[in-house]
Amino acid sequence: MDIAVRALVLFAFVFLLTRVTGRRELSTLEPFDLVLLIVVGDAIQQGLTQDDYSVTGALIAVGAIASLQVLTSWGSFRFGWLRRVFDGQPIVLVQDGKVLERNLRRERLTVDEVLEQARLQQISSLQDVAWAVFEPSGGISFIPKQ
Amino acid sequence: MADVPDGIVLKRHRDLEGRRNDIWVRRALMSLVAVIPVLALFNVFGQRPDTHVLVSPAASLKIYAPSRLRSGLLYEARFHIRARQTLKDAYLKLGPGWAEGQSINTIEPSPVSEASDNGRLSFELGHIPQGKSYILFLQFQVNPTNVALGRLQTVELDDGKTRLLFFKRHLWVFP
Repeated sequence: MDIAVRALVLFAFVFLLTRVTGRRELSTLEPFDLVLLIVVGDAIQQGLTQDDYSVTGALIAVGAIASLQVLTSWGSFRFGWLRRVFDGQPIVLVQDGKVLERNLRRERLTVDEVLEQARLQQISSLQDVAWAVFEPSGGISFIPKQ
Repeated sequence: MADVPDGIVLKRHRDLEGRRNDIWVRRALMSLVAVIPVLALFNVFGQRPDTHVLVSPAASLKIYAPSRLRSGLLYEARFHIRARQTLKDAYLKLGPGWAEGQSINTIEPSPVSEASDNGRLSFELGHIPQGKSYILFLQFQVNPTNVALGRLQTVELDDGKTRLLFFKRHLWVFP
């Protein structure tokens, strides 16, 4: 029972963490971010199973996390308001080549970062962009002008 | 103006109508997350040792051990006895709260004898001459599944059957 409760608490905490730190951190997986992710994963693992090396313990932990993941995704699928809470919503960053500074500030994004993402999608100037949308997944989608 | 992409509602996704407070909710939750390590700096979750000094005409006892711990931690408890008068047969008696849910890895120096005194751990330390010290080190590890919310821990110093000092405190073990 102990591991299942630990899994629930840690799942909720990590879920909260990923939601409140913002999408910016999720979208830019720099080497430092990658190391941080590994460190966080290791810290969580220790708190989850502690000194339990048994197969049963692993089954409980993995089973609990998988069940919680399915439960949250089902909740998102079933209820629109829950989807907005769990997944977030898109934010328009650029419209008709014009950068919406307020929306950038809200997500702690700079114009340079938007430009970088644009270049990755073979867009040389934001003037060529009809819409740039910061997606809930953390990526920026660009829709070029016709 | 270019056609609005499907699924995008300008009022909500560009003008952020109805989402003005979202950022504050996020900031408040992030602050809550940040509060945890700040509380840890103030020893709310252990394991900084506390020092308690007890004095009687016959002896003084300094207890140096954390009262807030987390499951799985290794830590030390130190009992420093100073004989103000000669103690012919000193006993240190620890309540069961010291052993509950914890491994006692080492006791140094080894007491003359160990026994149970009505459920307490009774360590016979032997003769301590006047003006001399006896320091008992106990090394513990908290059981990883152990949680304690104010578990009583008592310490008693006796000389033979005479109680010299008594102390009690509460132990917190966070999961």
